Amino acid sequence: MTYRIGVDVGGTFTDLFLWSEDGEVEGFKVLSTPEDSSLGVMSGLAVIAEARGLAVPDLVDQIDCIVHGTTVTTNAVLTRGGARVGLLTTDGVRDALEMRRGIRERQYDNRCTNVVPLVPRYLRRPVRERIDYKGDELRSLDEEDVRAGAELLGREGCEAVAICFLNSFANPEHERAAADIVRGVLPQVHLSVSANVLPTVRFYNRISTTVLNAYVSPVLGAYLESLAEKLDGVGFEGVLLIMQSNGGVALPEVTAQRAAGTLLSGPAAGPVAAVAYTREHGRNDAIVMDMGGTSFDASLVQDGSAALTPEGDIDRLRIALPMLAITTIGAGGGSIGWVDEGSLLRMGPQSAGALPGPACYGRGGEQPACTDADLVLGYLDPRYFAGGKLPLDVERARSAIETEIGRPLGLSVEEAAAGMYRVINANMAHGVREITTKRGLDPREFPMVVAGGAGALHACMIARELDIPLLLVPPTASILCAAGMLMSDLLHDFVRSMITPLADLDWDLLDDCVASMVADGGRQLAQEGIPEDRVRHDVALDLRYLKQYHEVTVPVGRDALEGRDAMAAATAFHARHNRLYGYDLAADGTGIELISVRVRSMGLTEKPQLPRLADGSADASAAIKGSRRVFVPEDEAFGEAMVYDGHRLLAGNRLAGPALIERTDTTIFVSSGFTAAIDEVGSCLIRANTGSSGHE
Amino acid sequence: MSDTTIDQVLVAIIARALKAITDEMSLCMEKTTRSPILCEARDYVTGLYDAEGRMLEQTENLPILSFSLSPVCAHIAEKFRGNVHPGDVFFHNDVFTLGNQNNDVAAFKPIFVDGELVAWAACKGHQADIGGAVRGGYNPNATEVWQEALRIPAVKVIEKGERRQDVWDLIFANIRLDIVEQDMLAEIGSCTVGERRLVELIEKYGAERFDAHKKHLFAATRKMMEAEIRSVPNGVYTGESTVYFDGKNPGSEYRIRVRITVEDERIVFDYSETDPQTNGFVNGTYTSSASATILTFLQLVNPDIPHNHGMVQPVEIIIPEGTILNAAYPAATTFGNHLCPPNADAIIRALAEAIPDRVTAGWNQLLCSLSTGPDPRKGDAYVDILFMGLKGGSGAMSACDGYDHIGMIDASGGILDQDYEMFEQQTPHTLVRHEYLCDSAGPGEFRGGLGVETVYRVGADATQIVTFGDGDVEPAFGLFGGGDGSLNRITLSYPGGDVYDTTSKDLVPGVPAGTEYVQHAGGGGGYGDPKKRSAETVRREVRNGVVSAAVARSAYGVVVDPISFEVDAAATAILRGGGGA
Repeated sequence: MTYRIGVDVGGTFTDLFLWSEDGEVEGFKVLSTPEDSSLGVMSGLAVIAEARGLAVPDLVDQIDCIVHGTTVTTNAVLTRGGARVGLLTTDGVRDALEMRRGIRERQYDNRCTNVVPLVPRYLRRPVRERIDYKGDELRSLDEEDVRAGAELLGREGCEAVAICFLNSFANPEHERAAADIVRGVLPQVHLSVSANVLPTVRFYNRISTTVLNAYVSPVLGAYLESLAEKLDGVGFEGVLLIMQSNGGVALPEVTAQRAAGTLLSGPAAGPVAAVAYTREHGRNDAIVMDMGGTSFDASLVQDGSAALTPEGDIDRLRIALPMLAITTIGAGGGSIGWVDEGSLLRMGPQSAGALPGPACYGRGGEQPACTDADLVLGYLDPRYFAGGKLPLDVERARSAIETEIGRPLGLSVEEAAAGMYRVINANMAHGVREITTKRGLDPREFPMVVAGGAGALHACMIARELDIPLLLVPPTASILCAAGMLMSDLLHDFVRSMITPLADLDWDLLDDCVASMVADGGRQLAQEGIPEDRVRHDVALDLRYLKQYHEVTVPVGRDALEGRDAMAAATAFHARHNRLYGYDLAADGTGIELISVRVRSMGLTEKPQLPRLADGSADASAAIKGSRRVFVPEDEAFGEAMVYDGHRLLAGNRLAGPALIERTDTTIFVSSGFTAAIDEVGSCLIRANTGSSGHE
Repeated sequence: MSDTTIDQVLVAIIARALKAITDEMSLCMEKTTRSPILCEARDYVTGLYDAEGRMLEQTENLPILSFSLSPVCAHIAEKFRGNVHPGDVFFHNDVFTLGNQNNDVAAFKPIFVDGELVAWAACKGHQADIGGAVRGGYNPNATEVWQEALRIPAVKVIEKGERRQDVWDLIFANIRLDIVEQDMLAEIGSCTVGERRLVELIEKYGAERFDAHKKHLFAATRKMMEAEIRSVPNGVYTGESTVYFDGKNPGSEYRIRVRITVEDERIVFDYSETDPQTNGFVNGTYTSSASATILTFLQLVNPDIPHNHGMVQPVEIIIPEGTILNAAYPAATTFGNHLCPPNADAIIRALAEAIPDRVTAGWNQLLCSLSTGPDPRKGDAYVDILFMGLKGGSGAMSACDGYDHIGMIDASGGILDQDYEMFEQQTPHTLVRHEYLCDSAGPGEFRGGLGVETVYRVGADATQIVTFGDGDVEPAFGLFGGGDGSLNRITLSYPGGDVYDTTSKDLVPGVPAGTEYVQHAGGGGGYGDPKKRSAETVRREVRNGVVSAAVARSAYGVVVDPISFEVDAAATAILRGGGGA
């Protein structure tokens, strides 16, 4: 038997998804081990081996691929546990990194302080040199400055050096020469050179991304080495692949050099898995919502691939590498409800976390959390939470809600709980709007895939708020990312600045620019063992109206490139601009400017097939395990709901809301205006009966 | 009658939705405008107002612009009553009909649901040019409004979706740069996005229900604001500050005097004792000055209060016409926004003793410059405000250092530096230096924010440099034993060796290529006795080169070796009066 395993390391749990050659799949959860997360990975393998009745080396012997998503780089930034980094930069601008263009995110809050920079000022060493805006040398590189700077950084114990000079996107020669000198002085340290990490215009984006890369690369390198050693120790001879923020995977040695590309990789595999389930219904797109204990993530799939954004922030630090477009808000099962000074009911962003947890956990939490409201409203069975491993205390939940919400607002406990439920649902609906309407997309045109332990209790009401016609809760809802890792392709993104009016575009130059990135991508994929017939390169252009500052990324097909068809790109740009920003200038004949060229190189992997569920009839009554009183939002009153055992439902089963479907790791609430059906791969499809706008 | 009983939860949901809409409108402006003043620095605001012009929500990158949108919206609603249709768009900048500054040009778009006017979307940005005598708008020689700008009282530029081309052409024929037309289109685009979203929201809940819940939201917000005011002890507090140099008479000084009366949940800011207006352009308008008062007060209360009509209701502001904060027609007023820093100083001084844990020491006052001229690389003119240069340090407060390089108090970190490489793409200049300025922060147990030094080399002949601001005479003040910050200055070193120190309101034409522009933006004031600051913190700052060893010794009483960066504990103990670190 051959196995493949997806391993997703989260803050609390390490999720594993096992795919067997015979088509069987199974999910596992073990506790994470934050001090060295490779220990959690190994104990996950041990749990799988035990479940299969195998010794660990015998299991490992049959694994041909492990895809690993890790948050070591993310945690290194959040806890400031990265490498000691030194920076060499053009004389005169060494503070750009710390200034962050002078922003204070909370304008009216005088107690809001700046972020502590990843490199303290005395380790940011100035180098005299200068390239101008178009790439010409204004002042030659002062090699002595570089050498003295490198020596100082060595003395100060730096484990990594970042090099970022002004205008290096237009001419990287000074950075390359400086890198050679640093390598001579400090052969052991990690080196991040901005022209390699991000060769595009905008100094702050580039210096911040390059320093982040230097900060986390040694950490990721050490972690991957230690993991490889442990896997070696049990005889692993298959391929290890690492998840990246752009939703693709890559070899460990490739990732370790561009570790910044993993900084937001945590949720990056979710969209790929989500679309595998919607494809069963002929849909190549989806909104993905994932509601866990402390946060809610919303992301998006279009035309089969995850929507990306060219830049984002981590802990208020800019990272300008392509990454999954994701909206994260503080809304989860642990989100605390409170009443503000204006008597408005608020939920989160504070979370009760796992400790003390919601009041109903009985671990000392006294503030009412979302889970307390879900319990009071009847959505959760106090004896069947986490498959019965964690009994919930209804009385504590009621009393917390009464004290903190009900009394101040003059509401009954049930009314207060219903209010908490509505407010958090509205917050999450805004999270979905951020990822759709702000990108010029209509949420009603997408099915929504529901993941995370708490998501399926709230999904119907989010769908109602946004008129989303179809919800899909996959069988792997609670380990969606681990499943997605086995469905991800190898991906490498490249970008180069090329500033010119579209009308004057030198197509030969563009061809060369594309060809050189395609060659880079092809080389990396060849190194990763991808045969040529499974390689694809997609090209996109960053365009803007003449004199605008910000660009819109527009994909261009091979045909347009080969036919040298600027009109095709222009037409796509006008349309996208209007959707996003409320107007376009197609009729005015305003010129369009090219700013940069992007290539995405893909190595298509073989995806595991989803296993099929046994067929049943429309009648789901065989899976009924009882009924209980739940709050029905449509009626604003409690009513009786059937409770189904999710593990006994069969393909083709249908059921009408209000109903609850209980699985050991997820409970699904089908509200009264909705009907659920089980599909052939075990997903629960939930449709609004009426009131949807029929875009499906 | 449909159901208009108040649903507390829906109030919270609507409040959240309104904020999301104005944020999205703001994003539209950032992503589509052309002038770096807008797309790089974000010198604009977006907002939603009800049918009568009352504020529903705003996104305030530069708050000084924002609190005049609501009065202007009410003015337009009244002026065009009966003549407002779906698809209309109005422009406005006129400072004598409640505008705050000539260059801050607003677009307003009425929003209809079922044929009824229910709300307005508005967007206002600092436009790169607005006609008048000087490109870019800042004319220190102006004595009346027509020498400063084209006045745009509320005019309808688009009617029922059709552009009124004659009116449109009249406006843009009087403005120098074509990007202004494009950027006004961006403002309209932003309003359109706001309109699309708000219509969806109101249709979802019904206009009547929305209206009832909106009123409840105002009431809830008002309650929050009143609770904040009640936490200030009742009393009458007075404060004073000085505006230096009116752009015409060297050495001239004008006092801003505020008398603040707190009585339970009401607060009154009375500027009746403030000096008369100047005969130059250093004059405020009522709305620019009232904005300054509101935004300063908002920094002294809970920062999470929603921004709507209810927030401003308990605040009364009295500014007699004819004072420097509310100049009478037809005065020149372009400098008016920049009277915010001294206005804030007067308020902080008045309230410092009453709420010592909530005030900051003085912030660095704005000193700004604008460069304009031909860009020979492109054969085209440009206008650039040097935002990176103007951002000094904020004042420190109890248990919190000031914020380094944040800028004037009326932006509070909402406007951004232009990116260096974009600066060199968009102007002919070359950046030489942009760094923290050593010893610029006012010392204190909590030090002021650091100022910065900015140096660029002028890249084209016939460059015109205009300065506007203050803070070159009196530094940001320290509080409760903290020291003052450093002063502002702007100097031009010509290729021939001549050096010219600009005044704080200056217009320097014909600056040749190769001239070196040097600007110091000062630090903020310190808070509390510097001798109480941790010696380890002082050592770290000496090592980082933001405090010199000399100042560590003289101001902080900490002796740090400038080579090894070790603290001499014994010498430090003596300087600190035996108290040690």
